[in-house]
Amino acid sequence: MELDQALQTFIMESRELLEAMEESLLGLESEPDDRDAIGAIFRAAHTIKGSGGLFGLDGIVAFTHVVENVLDRVRNNEVPINADLIALLLSCRDHIGMLVEQIAADSAAKPDHETETTGIMLLNQLKSYQAGTQEQSPLPAITSSQTKPQSQTAVVAQSGGTVENDNWHISLRFSHDVLRNGMDPLAFIRYLDNMGDIVHIVTLPDAMPFATDMDPESCYLGFEIDFHGENVDKATIEGVFEFVREDCSLRILPPHSRIEEYTQLIDELPEDKIRLGDLLVNCGALTWNELDEALRLQSLNAEFGCDASASRDSGNLGQILVEQNMVQPELVDAALGKQKLAKENKVQESKLIRIQADKLDQLINLVGEMVIAGAATSLLAQRTRDPALHESTSTLSRLVEEIRDSALQLRMVQIGETFSRFNRVVRDVSKEIGKDIGLAISGAETELDKSVVEKIGDPLMHLVRNSMDHGIEKSEIRLQRGKPAKGTLHLNAYHESGSIVVEVGDDGGGLNRARILAKALEKGLVTANQTLSDQEVYGLIFEAGFSTAEAVTNLSGRGVGMDVVRRNIEALRGTVEIDSREGVGTTVKIRLPLTLAIIDGFLLGVGSASYVVPLDMVMECIELSEAERQETRESNYINLRGTVLPFIRLRDQFREQGKAGRRENIVVVQYVGQMAGLVVDELMGEFQTVIKPLGKLFGNLKGISGSTILGSGEVALILDVPALIQRAVNKEAQQLAYSQTK
Amino acid sequence: MGAIARAEQHAEVAGGEEGQSQYLTFMLGGEMFAIPILNIKEIIEYGHLTTVPMMPASIRGVINLRGSVVPVVDMAVRFGRKTGDVTRRTCIVIIEIESGGEKQDVGVVVDTVNEVLEIPDTEVEQTPSFGARIRADFIHGMGKINGNFVIILAVNHVLSIDEMAVLEYAGGAEMEALALA
Repeated sequence: MELDQALQTFIMESRELLEAMEESLLGLESEPDDRDAIGAIFRAAHTIKGSGGLFGLDGIVAFTHVVENVLDRVRNNEVPINADLIALLLSCRDHIGMLVEQIAADSAAKPDHETETTGIMLLNQLKSYQAGTQEQSPLPAITSSQTKPQSQTAVVAQSGGTVENDNWHISLRFSHDVLRNGMDPLAFIRYLDNMGDIVHIVTLPDAMPFATDMDPESCYLGFEIDFHGENVDKATIEGVFEFVREDCSLRILPPHSRIEEYTQLIDELPEDKIRLGDLLVNCGALTWNELDEALRLQSLNAEFGCDASASRDSGNLGQILVEQNMVQPELVDAALGKQKLAKENKVQESKLIRIQADKLDQLINLVGEMVIAGAATSLLAQRTRDPALHESTSTLSRLVEEIRDSALQLRMVQIGETFSRFNRVVRDVSKEIGKDIGLAISGAETELDKSVVEKIGDPLMHLVRNSMDHGIEKSEIRLQRGKPAKGTLHLNAYHESGSIVVEVGDDGGGLNRARILAKALEKGLVTANQTLSDQEVYGLIFEAGFSTAEAVTNLSGRGVGMDVVRRNIEALRGTVEIDSREGVGTTVKIRLPLTLAIIDGFLLGVGSASYVVPLDMVMECIELSEAERQETRESNYINLRGTVLPFIRLRDQFREQGKAGRRENIVVVQYVGQMAGLVVDELMGEFQTVIKPLGKLFGNLKGISGSTILGSGEVALILDVPALIQRAVNKEAQQLAYSQTK
Repeated sequence: MGAIARAEQHAEVAGGEEGQSQYLTFMLGGEMFAIPILNIKEIIEYGHLTTVPMMPASIRGVINLRGSVVPVVDMAVRFGRKTGDVTRRTCIVIIEIESGGEKQDVGVVVDTVNEVLEIPDTEVEQTPSFGARIRADFIHGMGKINGNFVIILAVNHVLSIDEMAVLEYAGGAEMEALALA
């Protein structure tokens, strides 16, 4: 069972690594010299190989190993990076992804024939990039991370030199009182510089306490200095620090010191969180270049997830160093001991926790129940008229509110990750259809509920592909129309009045209104004498089976998709609209609720029933005076400080029985810049609303988006304001049309 | 919200004997009906019902059943009859419906709950093609109790979510349809 869990972790990590790898690869296309990106790609491949080996996933290890070899050569500038190689590496990435997914589906699965063929094909292509010294077959029989890639070691051994250990090494720790005694540590180091060359200097702030405990008059710093000087002897160096002899601890190791002395130095150093490599550099036993070399070798021999003893067995940094005669074994052992300690501390400091999504969902559900129970308690407390109890319950409600907010915050993720996936899509698709299209992303840091993010991927994919295929023109046509040859696809996200808006825009040809109308007539979706606004015409492309594309391509044009897009988005209580200008471009706006679980609501009463409106939409509440009630018998608008405010009488809309109350109020709501009033009987104030879905039975009901449970245990319905407004608009238009035909 | 009877306790008995099943009988507009007990989750007092506007009369509204929102169907209206008055004995029977692979609870308003009966399969007659004044597909069969017939309902048809959702749509679009006419 435990292995199963570990395997799940491996699969999850691999997915993330592959994503990072893809991102870096795409980055390389524009900046082929980005050393960091190359390093990141290499590390991703390497980690997957290493962890795969732990689980005995030979297929993944064997394939990734070859990829890693090529990447290594890229990293060493032995192979130039170019578009072909990037394309090949992307395919390799996909292949590794496929292998991982197969493991995810069934851990014992053998790759099917097709996958295997792809793998061999890719390996053959990779072969040309591999080193000439490569004596291995395309599928090397590497079965575990423990096996050392011999050829690699050999290559590096040639290039790796011996340690340039002819520097003095000075280990300096100032005492806390050095500043109080009027000494400036820097002055001594500057003085030292006059005597010769300071080759390396490392400042050690490890003794620095937390800011609150820090005394600005104390010195907490230590220095590790590599010093090179002609005709310098130990006495000279000691002389430099003569004045602070009392206030510092000084250790000086002459060039070519004995190993024991280095070992002793490591043991004596007070710091513990320093990695082995740094330690060795600090000690002057290695130069940075040598460390890099060594680190690379270490990373070739995976030791991920191994415990310390296992990592000693596999080729680790220390051992490699020893093998290459860079340092002596005793020295390494002492450093390794320190590194192990540092590692253990690192684990504790880790800031991220991985949580299973269903645990989080359960928490959110419980918080929801707590909100409802809290509301019931406050209601009871109000009835008792006991001030102390009342106060205590309001404290409680405030806390519950905070818990609710932070619980929901746990589910919020940035949309950027979803967006960046499209870099690859845009790249691949534009190659496939032979158009030059770039992707611009903005608003990547906009946060929204994880469950929404998960469900928005597919609709976005449809829209992006559609824009690329139908929206953006071919370069020649673009140039003719006076646009830049390269088309741009724009993904944008931002918050607006309680919802999040995701935009997919292109600078293509725009929608052809006439063609859509003609098609709609042909399909019988509209009748010839209907007058439709641009919005309504564009909305037609979301009807099932609607496509104006002349040619059906691999990507789109079959008319499936756009209706699926709309359905998916509506299932998330969202809306989708299109803005388009012919010749300039099209923008599809998807508007989604921020969260699917709990919202701040405004409770209002109509007749005997209670309804909730999302608080973000409520602008203000005004009383509908007796005079206005008389005035508005025939019309449904009032004068709100000089502007026209149309309103909906919920009592009529819901066909509530009985006469209206003595007083009526208007709740002014705003949605997408549109203001409207809702005439209600009673205003009942803010209410934390836990959204309970109404179920399939009410799936077709427009105007009500869900329900919630009040403190009294009764159910209140949540109003879908946009749908209500839309309904009112349609109703009035149709009634007018009807009365005219009479 | 006192539960009058927890049907689940009886449910264990139901499948016990071969060739006969247990049914809950109830009154609706003076007529007796029966439903298989296996589908019934519980029976609660009528009350605290929230009407959902813009829905047809066959859907009375929703109730809060220990934290989940459950729709309540007026079966009399569903049968095309007049809705009954709410009395002291009016109950809501909570029935579990399977629809498209998903299970959903639906409440049904009935005038009075009678008793749980065992009816041997041999005592269940074929559905008459007409005469019951109820859509034939709503009827599972006619059970014989002491020489009298009782209509055994096909719960999944009577409370078909898909069908009622479409009904709702027709009801919701009623105004528009009217205006278009």
